[in-house]
Amino acid sequence: MANPFDINGGACVAMVGKDCVAIACDLRLGMQSLTVSNNFPKIFNYAPSTYLGLTGLATDVNTVSDLFRYKVNMYRLREERHIAPQTLANLVSSSLYEKRFGPFFISPVIAGINHTSGKPFICGFDSIGCIDLAKDFIVSGTASDQLFGTCEGLWEPDLSPEDLFETISQALLSGVDRDALSGWGAQVYIIEKDKVTQRLLKGRQD
Amino acid sequence: MADRYSFSLTTFSPSGKLVQIEYALNAVNQGVTALGIKATNGIVLATEKKSSSPLIDPPSLSKISLITPDIGMVYAGMGPDYRVLVDKARKVSHTGYKRIYNEYPPTRILVQDVARVVQEATQSGGVRPYGVSLLVAGWDEGVEPETGEAHKDDDPEKTPGKTGGIRKGGPSLYQVDPSGSYYPWKATAIGKHATSAKTFLEKRYTEGMELEDAIHIALLTLKETIEGEMNGDTIEIGIVGPPADHLLGFEGVEGAKGPRFRKLTKGQIEDYLTNL
Amino acid sequence: MTSLMDHPSRGETIGYSFSQPTAAPVKEHSFYPYTDNGGSTLGITGSDFAILAGDTRSTSGYNINSRMVPKVFKIGGDDETGEGAHILLSVVGFAADGNALKERLDTVVKMYKYQHGKSMSVGACAQRLSTILYQKRFFPYYVHAILAGLDEEGKGALYSYDPVGSYEREQCRAAGAASSLIMPFLDNQVNFKNQYIPGSGEGHALEPKKAEPLPQETVKQLVRDAFTSAVERHIEVGDHLQVMIITKDGVEEVYHPLKKD
Repeated sequence: MANPFDINGGACVAMVGKDCVAIACDLRLGMQSLTVSNNFPKIFNYAPSTYLGLTGLATDVNTVSDLFRYKVNMYRLREERHIAPQTLANLVSSSLYEKRFGPFFISPVIAGINHTSGKPFICGFDSIGCIDLAKDFIVSGTASDQLFGTCEGLWEPDLSPEDLFETISQALLSGVDRDALSGWGAQVYIIEKDKVTQRLLKGRQD
Repeated sequence: MADRYSFSLTTFSPSGKLVQIEYALNAVNQGVTALGIKATNGIVLATEKKSSSPLIDPPSLSKISLITPDIGMVYAGMGPDYRVLVDKARKVSHTGYKRIYNEYPPTRILVQDVARVVQEATQSGGVRPYGVSLLVAGWDEGVEPETGEAHKDDDPEKTPGKTGGIRKGGPSLYQVDPSGSYYPWKATAIGKHATSAKTFLEKRYTEGMELEDAIHIALLTLKETIEGEMNGDTIEIGIVGPPADHLLGFEGVEGAKGPRFRKLTKGQIEDYLTNL
Repeated sequence: MTSLMDHPSRGETIGYSFSQPTAAPVKEHSFYPYTDNGGSTLGITGSDFAILAGDTRSTSGYNINSRMVPKVFKIGGDDETGEGAHILLSVVGFAADGNALKERLDTVVKMYKYQHGKSMSVGACAQRLSTILYQKRFFPYYVHAILAGLDEEGKGALYSYDPVGSYEREQCRAAGAASSLIMPFLDNQVNFKNQYIPGSGEGHALEPKKAEPLPQETVKQLVRDAFTSAVERHIEVGDHLQVMIITKDGVEEVYHPLKKD
């Protein structure tokens, strides 16, 4: 059987800017080389300015996004506050490690702005919850190699929200265009302190 | 026949009371008085350390315990039951929170978790309720950014919840009873002389008081009710104050913050007593 | 454990009284003649030049064999230094095959000159390289080759190959270990893929930015950026960057340092 991470395809990337962060994903859902849907977003919102991107096996993307919706709702009810990006990162980490010997086949990415400190935060994980804290960008999915190349080449520190949008969009679109399993449009979130902008990108439809 | 299948010791009386819990409260009300006062910048917990024999080595006795670096606890009632609850509180603060979120629980969450343990003892088979009341004092980091502006209370999104949300952060003081109920207080007392101590506190408590004043009032209140002599060996004080970096055991680590909860040493207590 | 131990291995059968004595168990031998020596190469053309670049690291597995094994070669030069060459070849993949291929093509190009009394054109050399690769269709040279030179009009010419000789003329191409990292970056920065002319229209009317030959300085900078990026994220790429630029004036070769970690 094929690698479960590569069956459905998909890509996700998060980037840090000056007082802002961005997270973007493609929209493809496939079964091996057959594209099944071109409207399968992989980014989920769990609090104002806290987003989680999930790539990998689509059934696990659905299961895990629902699991965290439940867990974060319970957190908010119990604690009477929104979950911070850092806290969500630790929750994701511990939840994935619980399944150490039967993991979800996903590669999560978190992007958000900490409400208390006002600081941008991004991080990524492996499928068993090891946190990858990065100062610049995080990539995941079947186009991760390509995204590493484009992000490393295009990203620079302290980008404004507008420049960050352009950078993450170009990095994602050019990245997924060289991956047969990703693409078919993209969704981009630009997260500022008190504002989130969501944009849909058409991209190549092949 | 009916009593054969009645495993629960805590059973409703026909009048709707759970007498076992009332007995547990009686045990609390015979216990040594403990009190807590919340100040603007911290909390004080105080109690009398009574020894039954002059041969007892006083420093080995400890009635105020650290649960997390920012939360401490004191009790009135049965010592052994208290120690079990301290163990469970420390354990649940990790299993139920730190191992999940990699941070310590806010005070209210810890209090709820401890209260659950206490409540379960009133409804489970083969156990008796805990014979203690607890005072839990803790400091929470607020989630609202510190702006220096006055907080807008009319914004429903930003006002603290009814059980003491921690949006603004700061000190909080809770009492947990054998029934599993818990109450947030500005200042309170539990144990034998709780009623008179509370009357005293009602007179002396002022809004906007600082930690040093609170420690002073705590000692004055204790003086009213204490049975023996008052000195560094017979008084125990725990405070929640500014981060105590000297207690970390190391220095030079960026971002490392010392515990806010700490117990006062014998010398520190005696310094306060001389200024009384 | 026992069941695993007792299980008869391949070649052994149960001996019956009427059966012939069984032969000794068959031992499987295998020989895999290829190694991946890592590294990456990259070629970009301009209106009057072509650039071929490659890192100089040679690896096998997690080991670094050498920090100075050039992957870009002058083909058909007059002496050992390659002086007078007007064709460049880069090879990445299995270094031994790469070397053998380079030597063969070099010989072929030289022989052509001796026999025809004129230099081989880049287009002819490109076709010849394809046949050389295809001749070993069932025991291929395990390399991704890129051939560069100037065409009859003096424009930069770049041909890229798969290991069995399938080839194409392109504006730019990355090959080797970090090709998946570099290629999408090149699409974006050389061919302006996914870039549009601002304000040229709404939706489908929006005009794509047209690719046009870039100036030499821009291309040089792109090559260096592509490799510093690749070094950052790929362990098989690093040490030095070898860059060869071919113009009508000949071949210029320069080395730049890359990270050695």
